[in-house]
Amino acid sequence: MSSTKLNSEGVLLFEQPFVRVPYENYRKVFRATQRNIERELGNVQTVSNDLLKRSKSREVNLEDAAKSVDGMIGRVENLKRKLSELQDTAGKPTLDVTRERLQHLMAVETLQTTGSLDFSRWADTRLDRWLVDWALRTGRENTARTLAQDRNIETLVDIDLFTDIRRIELALSKHSCTEALAWCSENKTALRKIKSTLEFELRLQEYIELARDQKKQEAMAYSKKHLVSWQETHLPQIMQAATLLAIKPSTTCGPYRRLYDDSRWLDLIQAFRLAIYNLNSLPTEPLLNLALYSGLASLKLPSCNDKSSHNIDCPVCDPSINTLAREVPFSHHANSTIVCRISGKIMDEDNMPMMFPNGQVYSREALEDMAAKHNGMVTCQVTDQKCEFSALKKVFIS
Amino acid sequence: MDGPLKELFKLERLTERAKGKTPSIENSLDSLLQSLREVKDRINAGSVTEDTYVLLAQTVEAKKKEIDEKQREIYNGIARLGKALDKKFTQPLPTYDPLFTSKDAQAALERTIALHFLRTGQFSTAETFIQECKLVIEPEQRTKFQDLHRIVLALKRQDIGPALEWSLKNRDFLRKRSSPLEFYLHRSQFIRLLLAEPLDAGPAISYANATLRSFYPEHATEFQRLMTSVLYLPKERLQRSPYADLASDSVHTDLEPLFAKEYCTNLGMSRQVPLRVIGDIGGGGALARIEKARTVMKERKSEWSQSDELPIEIQLAPESRYHSIFACPVSKEQSTEQNPPMMMTCGHVITKESLQKLCKSNGRVKCPYCPTESTQANAQHVFF
Repeated sequence: MSSTKLNSEGVLLFEQPFVRVPYENYRKVFRATQRNIERELGNVQTVSNDLLKRSKSREVNLEDAAKSVDGMIGRVENLKRKLSELQDTAGKPTLDVTRERLQHLMAVETLQTTGSLDFSRWADTRLDRWLVDWALRTGRENTARTLAQDRNIETLVDIDLFTDIRRIELALSKHSCTEALAWCSENKTALRKIKSTLEFELRLQEYIELARDQKKQEAMAYSKKHLVSWQETHLPQIMQAATLLAIKPSTTCGPYRRLYDDSRWLDLIQAFRLAIYNLNSLPTEPLLNLALYSGLASLKLPSCNDKSSHNIDCPVCDPSINTLAREVPFSHHANSTIVCRISGKIMDEDNMPMMFPNGQVYSREALEDMAAKHNGMVTCQVTDQKCEFSALKKVFIS
Repeated sequence: MDGPLKELFKLERLTERAKGKTPSIENSLDSLLQSLREVKDRINAGSVTEDTYVLLAQTVEAKKKEIDEKQREIYNGIARLGKALDKKFTQPLPTYDPLFTSKDAQAALERTIALHFLRTGQFSTAETFIQECKLVIEPEQRTKFQDLHRIVLALKRQDIGPALEWSLKNRDFLRKRSSPLEFYLHRSQFIRLLLAEPLDAGPAISYANATLRSFYPEHATEFQRLMTSVLYLPKERLQRSPYADLASDSVHTDLEPLFAKEYCTNLGMSRQVPLRVIGDIGGGGALARIEKARTVMKERKSEWSQSDELPIEIQLAPESRYHSIFACPVSKEQSTEQNPPMMMTCGHVITKESLQKLCKSNGRVKCPYCPTESTQANAQHVFF
């Protein structure tokens, strides 16, 4: 059966962020390592060159030299300690997580069908992962943690990333840009690559706050330091910002009122979210929502909204899920599928549809079963009409 | 996943200490430290010359180069892993407008998730979630699921007691469905007694007398098989006998799904976990198919015309077909209440509108699929 064969392309479509997040984390660790090396060894280089220069011009006494060398030893030891710490607490764990996740995906790739118990277990874990992702994005952190611990999938979900996101968003909602700006500087190159203007918007906000407090001198200095470097792309905004200093926060003039407006903070939260999701290949919507959207659209039929054809086993017939399904399109079918309302089996040439005199149709197998138990009599489940099995008519569906 | 795993392995080798082609950063730093300490010793001993400093500056330079080289190797390793991932994951997840954000939808989603946790027996997660969302879940919903799990767990422990108690309470319901649950519960217990060490058929037979006997009218054949299987003890012999199926574990393990099915039906719950069903379809190719259709339509510059229906058909497994769909073989349209399926006297079914179109002025219709001619008046409305 083609539909129970595992569609690995369809499965993997959901998994890009799953491997991208630890990968990006590892790149971050690498950058931190690199920064440490540059700083410490750069310094050692300068000191040793300086020492050489001074000894050439005979300006160095032994005491100074000893001090310089001690300083270098200290720096190199410090660097060594820092690097090994980074490797133990961040580098290796991150690579371990990456490996675990790749192996987790490898396990599903080797499965041939979706019918096996192995797949069922894998899909259970996947649903748990989606639920954790959903809970983290919607601010249900306790649920996310309990679920991840309970199911022992902490390495398969990104609680730390979302905790970080939440911390920065919380700071923004309390009108502080510091945390978000720190994040921007950590991810400077990546942000430049995706042409993100988040940093400018954050800087502009800090500037606006200075203007709001009428700290004009400081605002001008701030602008020179942080805004002017964006003039190539953001000249109009920078000029507008300059004018802002002449305008009081109580202004009713459209563009300036908008700059002073508190809703700008909400926009910043949104912009920050987009940027950090983008860097980690996370979709803007929770994975669960994407799966629900496409799953519901594949299942939804007009019959799901019809009481007379309600089927307790159909997910879309569930009252809560039916509410969700209002947002998705109906499924599309070019061919008939007749499902027996007694056995739930699909009828075909081997299990023909049979019709009661009143027009109700059930599968032959189910009716034969019933007839065998009741001396050849069959009863319609909907209308209670009774008749001999032999009075049923074959129905041909092409 | 082979490609990325291979690159990851190489990267791990690179970053592990004291491995790889070039010396590890740690080794380079150690040897730098050693040089520095030697210089320090010389200073202390007063035997330092300008050459010492020349040498030191060279060593620092060389070690820095070594470390940079190693970092470049690691950097390249990371980049290769990134490329391997790009190759494996060619398509990013699509961007959708925020979904399920209306108040109703949010509440529905929260409730669905809460019931999912309960249904799958994750009670502590469920309670945390219910508290965090300030949801109201009816107490009877909770007991319903707690009972389900208590009984299933007991079955897992090979204790049929709670399940038996439930089936006695719901005997009428089970009878009406001609469900074999109660009989199978006893059968499982009978076989467990039969195969217990030390070998003694006595307790099993008296158990059968007390419990299984009353099922004889409905399960005569199976009853006889159970009784005859006694002749093939011990287990090893039974496994080679015509009754080998009775020695298999499935006699006991199949009770769990059977019980769960009856329990859920009795309480009006679906037999599968709904979120799993939807998620497996969505995450098993449906989203990929929908996205592909969207891109193709964009390329052809045609908009998704019927926004209320998917432009393509998503194949579903037979067990995920819950409703009948009748697509008229003549008009290709799905039947509706206004345009119901009609069966002609020959047994072929088309929709009412197609039937009317095929009808001649004398009220007669020639079936498009067989030579039979019938009248429109004789066609019968069928219900699937």
